[in-house]
Amino acid sequence: MLAMLLASFAFSAQAEGVRSAAMLSHTCAGCHGTDGASAGEAMPTIAGMDKGYLVKILEDYKDDVRPSTIMGRIMRGYSDQEIAAIASFFADRPWVSTERPIDGELAYQGELIHQQRCESCHADGGRGQDARSPRLAGQWGPYIQYALETCRARGESCKKRQGAERVMVLEDTEIQALAHYYESQK
Amino acid sequence: MNPSRRRFLGSVGRAAAGSAAVSLLGAPAILRADAPKARVVVVGGGYGGAIAAKYLKLADPELRVTLIERNPVYVSCPLSNEVLAGERDIESLTFDYRGLSRRGIAVMGDEIVEIDPEQRFVRGKGGARYNYDKLILSPGVSFDFSTIDGMSAELADSRFPHAWKAGPQTLLLRKQLEAMPDGGVCAIVAPPNPFRCPPGPYERAAQIALYLSHHKPKSKVMIYDAKDAFSKQGLFQAAWKEHYGDMIEWVPAAAGGNIEAIDPDSMTLVGPVEDFEADVINLIPPQRAAELAVNNDLVDASGWCPVNQQTFESTLHSDIHVIGDAAMAGAMPKSGYSANSQGKVCAMAVAAAINGQSAPVPSYVNTCYSILAPDHGISVAGVYELKDGEIVSVPGAGGLSAADADARTRAIEVQFAIGWYRNITADMFT
Repeated sequence: MLAMLLASFAFSAQAEGVRSAAMLSHTCAGCHGTDGASAGEAMPTIAGMDKGYLVKILEDYKDDVRPSTIMGRIMRGYSDQEIAAIASFFADRPWVSTERPIDGELAYQGELIHQQRCESCHADGGRGQDARSPRLAGQWGPYIQYALETCRARGESCKKRQGAERVMVLEDTEIQALAHYYESQK
Repeated sequence: MNPSRRRFLGSVGRAAAGSAAVSLLGAPAILRADAPKARVVVVGGGYGGAIAAKYLKLADPELRVTLIERNPVYVSCPLSNEVLAGERDIESLTFDYRGLSRRGIAVMGDEIVEIDPEQRFVRGKGGARYNYDKLILSPGVSFDFSTIDGMSAELADSRFPHAWKAGPQTLLLRKQLEAMPDGGVCAIVAPPNPFRCPPGPYERAAQIALYLSHHKPKSKVMIYDAKDAFSKQGLFQAAWKEHYGDMIEWVPAAAGGNIEAIDPDSMTLVGPVEDFEADVINLIPPQRAAELAVNNDLVDASGWCPVNQQTFESTLHSDIHVIGDAAMAGAMPKSGYSANSQGKVCAMAVAAAINGQSAPVPSYVNTCYSILAPDHGISVAGVYELKDGEIVSVPGAGGLSAADADARTRAIEVQFAIGWYRNITADMFT
């Protein structure tokens, strides 16, 4: 009986139009790359990110908690269940680091800043991740720079985010150095 | 190929068919060449067709996918307005099909001229026949010169380029702008709806003005429009004024902008009220589906292809799907991103049908960026769903860049426009 109920529920859900995770997620690839591996540079790679982190970010876009140029407009088109499906899809894809030469001197300076102020959450040179800290190692530097500059420019409204107080005091050159460092880590 | 070697490869292919490891490594198509699960032919290797071919292979590696494209390389229309401004060269918009070949897609250089929906094959210009179980067409648009007296395809190639397919006409228009004297007039004739890339003519005006403002600042860009309104209009008009003062002037249909004829000798455009002389004329004609669709009974009286909007299967011929600019896709605009999104929905529907499954519930997105100055980008986004068989916008989602966005936001939208381009072309060609 339970099985029949479940089966009929599944059937009616299909009739209402449940869209598969792949169907939903393929629409992201035009900007974030096939399976979420970005071809650069201002667009972040989202493949292989922590599912909880992706859910949080996408819902924050939808609810305008996290300001954006375009992501809020897009995420308002999806239910919370669909957002969870999209997050699962990308969390299950393999992370792909960028492959291009990085300014070694800047990356070295970035590492010093990272060790002092960032490593406690972005562990293992930015390879570590959880629902509150995204992976940074191998991410596109221009995106990291943009994200840090945006948080700093927002000031108060960004401060609720973990680590934001440390972002507020970064100089332009320090942000650049961090962006080069994280991109250099694969 | 030597027949005994062919048999040998065939038996290896069958032996390996159950091995996930082999298919993950991308076993060459030839290993399965003897008995494909189904043959899907995709015609047209642009924003729609390249994606449909790739996502068919991703959806079901056992399919034999053939992509037929008449040109050896593809030149992207998106960002080609920057070529007119001298901001980028056309090589940066040019791609080949090797990445798709590496995915096991058979890429054929041929121009399809005939479709036989009964016997299910298409025929190339030289007579080659390609059999299909399912056919996907992404043929793009064709131009209807007949509504403008004196205009012709020959004149578009030689003197009044539309440059609405990126390539030689883009370079011709660039040359004409370079040769134009300071104080000259560049006229853009904008087409009636529906047409490829609704914001395109208005981004083009900005890009041409960007070039002229640096090199020929006394010149004008006149837009003569068959319409009284256009995409992202408020954002465009504010940006034109901000960056180019009164260099760009828009003449809507209601003010006599609907061009009816052209006199090539005097370089004059004839409107219903008055005539307009110009030094460079970029005449973008009214559009309809590509000749391939028109000539093969795939369009209705509107000149576009009616399709089942869940699967993009033609409502006129079964087992033929039409995606991209040629298709009537409900609320979706005719854009590169729309074609990308439709290509994926169509590929998944075709793979499902071949595997005896029902058509998946579709999801579609559009995003279009326009670059109006080196530090000024704007965008429009749309999120779509299927309701009662029609593609409709999801209420509350999508829309335009904010009218009051600050300079930093405008500048980052240019970076996102370039990132959009890098990713959507990588999605197509790698």
